[in-house]
Amino acid sequence: MRRLVIAPRWKKVVRDIMERPGRSVLAVIAMTAGVFALGTMVVKYATLRPVLATMYGDTRPSSATLFTDALSDALVDSVRRVEGVGDAELRPVIIARARLGEDEWIPAVLFVIRDFDAQRLDVFKRDTGAWPPADGEVLLERSAVAVAKIERDANLMIRTAGGEDHELKFAGTVHAAGLAPAWMEHVVYGFVAWSSSARGDGSNESSQIRISVAEHPLDEGHIREVAGRVKALLEREGHTVARIDVPIPGRHPHADQMDTFIYLLGAFGILSFLLSSVLVASMVHALLSEQLRQVGVMKAIGATTRQIAGIYLGQVALLATAALAIGGPLAFFAGRAYAEFSAGILNADVSHSPFPWGALIVLAVVGIAVPLAVALGPVLRASRITVHQALNDDLGPRPFGSRGLERRLAAISWLPRPLLLSLRTTFLRRGRLLLTVVMLALGGAVFMSALNVSGAWQRAVNADFSMRRYDLTVRFAESQPIAVVDEALAKLPVVRDAEYWPGANPYLIGPNGAPGSTIAMTGPTPGSKLLTLPLLDGRWLTPGDTNAVVINNAALIRNPKLRVGGTIEVRNNGTTHAFPIVGMVKEMAPMAVIYAPPRAVLAVTGADGEQTRIARVVTTEHTEAGQLGASREVERAFEAMEIEVTGMQSMLDVRKGILDHLVIILVVLTMASTLVVFVGGLALTSTLSINVMLRTREIGVLGAIGATPRTISSHVWIEGLLIGLMSWIVALLIAAPVSWLLESVTGNMFFKAPLAFFMSLQAALIWLALIVVLATLSSLYPAWRASRLTIREALSTT
Amino acid sequence: MIRMQAVTKTYETAAGSFAALRGIDLEIRAGEMVAIVGRSGSGKSTLLNMVAGIDRPTSGEVAVAGTSIQSLSHDRLATWRGRSVGIVFQFFQLLPTLTVIENVMLPMDFCGAIPPNARRDRALELLDRVGVPEQADKLPSTLSGGQQQRVAIARALANDPPLILADEPTGNLDSSTGEAVFRLFGDLVADGKTVVIVTHERDAVSGVSRTVTLADGCVAS
Repeated sequence: MRRLVIAPRWKKVVRDIMERPGRSVLAVIAMTAGVFALGTMVVKYATLRPVLATMYGDTRPSSATLFTDALSDALVDSVRRVEGVGDAELRPVIIARARLGEDEWIPAVLFVIRDFDAQRLDVFKRDTGAWPPADGEVLLERSAVAVAKIERDANLMIRTAGGEDHELKFAGTVHAAGLAPAWMEHVVYGFVAWSSSARGDGSNESSQIRISVAEHPLDEGHIREVAGRVKALLEREGHTVARIDVPIPGRHPHADQMDTFIYLLGAFGILSFLLSSVLVASMVHALLSEQLRQVGVMKAIGATTRQIAGIYLGQVALLATAALAIGGPLAFFAGRAYAEFSAGILNADVSHSPFPWGALIVLAVVGIAVPLAVALGPVLRASRITVHQALNDDLGPRPFGSRGLERRLAAISWLPRPLLLSLRTTFLRRGRLLLTVVMLALGGAVFMSALNVSGAWQRAVNADFSMRRYDLTVRFAESQPIAVVDEALAKLPVVRDAEYWPGANPYLIGPNGAPGSTIAMTGPTPGSKLLTLPLLDGRWLTPGDTNAVVINNAALIRNPKLRVGGTIEVRNNGTTHAFPIVGMVKEMAPMAVIYAPPRAVLAVTGADGEQTRIARVVTTEHTEAGQLGASREVERAFEAMEIEVTGMQSMLDVRKGILDHLVIILVVLTMASTLVVFVGGLALTSTLSINVMLRTREIGVLGAIGATPRTISSHVWIEGLLIGLMSWIVALLIAAPVSWLLESVTGNMFFKAPLAFFMSLQAALIWLALIVVLATLSSLYPAWRASRLTIREALSTT
Repeated sequence: MIRMQAVTKTYETAAGSFAALRGIDLEIRAGEMVAIVGRSGSGKSTLLNMVAGIDRPTSGEVAVAGTSIQSLSHDRLATWRGRSVGIVFQFFQLLPTLTVIENVMLPMDFCGAIPPNARRDRALELLDRVGVPEQADKLPSTLSGGQQQRVAIARALANDPPLILADEPTGNLDSSTGEAVFRLFGDLVADGKTVVIVTHERDAVSGVSRTVTLADGCVAS
């Protein structure tokens, strides 16, 4: 039998790896971290992309929704025949509240479906349970089940805007991919049959007709034009159209958030991968400096540059393969999980996404090729060395003191000598020191930025809410005489004060002079102490104002031409009103608002000002319990007077809802920084081990002149701490611009306004503490190795 | 076999330039066993490096077996060295992670002159010849200094080169082991090889056909 011959040089590849298990494991971990970071991103992307590409389109999203009154099926047929209309579906909506517990309600939206099996627009799919629901049943959007806190087959209590209560059996779930997830919106989405008992006499419904356009589905102007024709038809037939909503064509409501997360984490994935690659290069460099003599010997006995390079590249390839074998599957599962998490933001379903073969192949190629590419430089340099240089240590370490910094360090004598030794050796290899410091600092900067951004959010939200000095917003089903409401509230000991601001929802005239979507208009009581918003420009309303208005920053996004000194035009019930803009305020809200004197608002609506639908209530206790208690008492009081309350919002609840959105950002950023911090920690361990290895002889000398193993390991530890502290300072410097950038981006993403720059002292101190822990952990292994070297071993290395 | 003409070597150091060899003319014929002796710093190792192609002369010409080696590129030089020269170092310089027999097979692996299937047998044969066949599958660190040097000689013979260069081969060995190593070199000369040994131990030099003494970079005798 012929014996399989493995050339000795390939045996050397494997044996060299086995000979230094610590270093090999470290290198594999570094590469695994890179493979994991990159792999998670590509697997996530590959999993999500095919789903996202088709998901929203598959729901056949409507182009516009017209809010009208009850329409006959024949009229809906006529709408379908209007020029430019692709399809139309009448889908009445019941605005209601769902009961979560005693005196605990949450907004609910019930869609009334003509035929569950013949949906035309905004299609949703059967998920679990009944399909279609019976008259006394409701199907919930699957993301709404947790929001409604309900078990299958239990009854959901619904109170409509008209004050009617209905018990509906929760009979099953649907998946409506076009809706934003209920847990983010804090709304219960339900679907009921055309003959559902919840409809009552139909007076509590908003009759909505949804249309799609036959052509140019992404052209918003065209959509408005077609919707205008439908409106004209409906009005000719004697119906009124209260409002036309046109969402951004072709975009899922949460697509922006999704994109931001993809780019943010994608950037961190690539950063981690690059850092780990640089770390691998540095490790290879260290390995080779230890092997220089062997390179010389091999060349002396006939090895060519190419053969030598092959040996060390083979080693890197082997380690990279091991890293791929570990990191690949980990990345696959993490990427899938992350895709699922991201899909949650879009209410998408990735369980049927095809297996990401392409992504895994790309990962395998990159996972091997990149370590080889980064190792190529050091390997070629080492392989090209001449025998003479290699055998005579010509490329050995540069003597300490040949640079200015080193001479200055050498002049310091007041520090304890062990610390001095650590300090000077730390600076001996400046390239590696710089690399380690930068890696650790990047991790720290991302970590601190995550906390800074979260702190900036909290401050911004708190600041915004501190300017709204009322505790409850009470909404009535119908307009009520202010005198009656005020008298009722005045009797309650939990209520300190209340104000009644008239409101309107006119159309905002857009930059092209045509009415666009609606804008909120609010008339705070002149001189009210309940609202003081920070001014960006101009002034706030004064009691003497008659028609001057103040707009918020979100209004500017709707019409960029608006400015202080100009005018803003709105249209309501066919009349256009123009108001001079005297000021602009900043609000942490995506909703455009016009603040105007009450009489200006009343001029728009045509109401008389003696009636109100909203009361803003100041309670005696401003705590969560105080607001909740007061809201219950207020609700009961109005119930006793048979005044229907449709909305009861406590400001602390609203604030909590906003802060809940932030949890996602914080989680995402913390995940990203964990990876970078991990790679940075590896870099520190590797640098310390390499320094120990290169100073083996020096450690032997220290032992020979009386240093105990404890002293020697403490040297390594102090060196780790010094590097950590340097990185902490650099991290602070990097964290400032990174925080600023993230605060601007996330602020704009959620609230259309950048957050005020904020750096948290707490974050800096936490990172400092972590750095000490990290430096200690990273120096454990090298310190242990250093202390175990016997003097004989240390001095006999050649 | 070896011809050096007017070879000089000057090193530039921080302390100024230093002439290691000053105009060396030397001829060594095939089948000779030559000892190059001199004090530390006399230039004998530098001379050996010139012959092995490990270092290049600043001026002058070095020809080994008809090849003018200063004209070869580094890589061609390595291949040439693997086939034409066997080098024995003072500190043995066996690769620590390869077994004894793998160390001997390594030069065959690099040069490809011996067919892969024949390499192991040839390596065993060489180990037998230098007297350490039973150590074949051990790692170098488990061997004594004398055994390691014998393995190093076997490795130098791997590609059957006509010329063996040894740099202080007995410097790290006790005297009786050193003598045994010299006897081994004598056997090689008897087999037709040319052997050049650098050493500072004048007394230990036995069985050489000629001794060249260097002093301050010049041939003294």
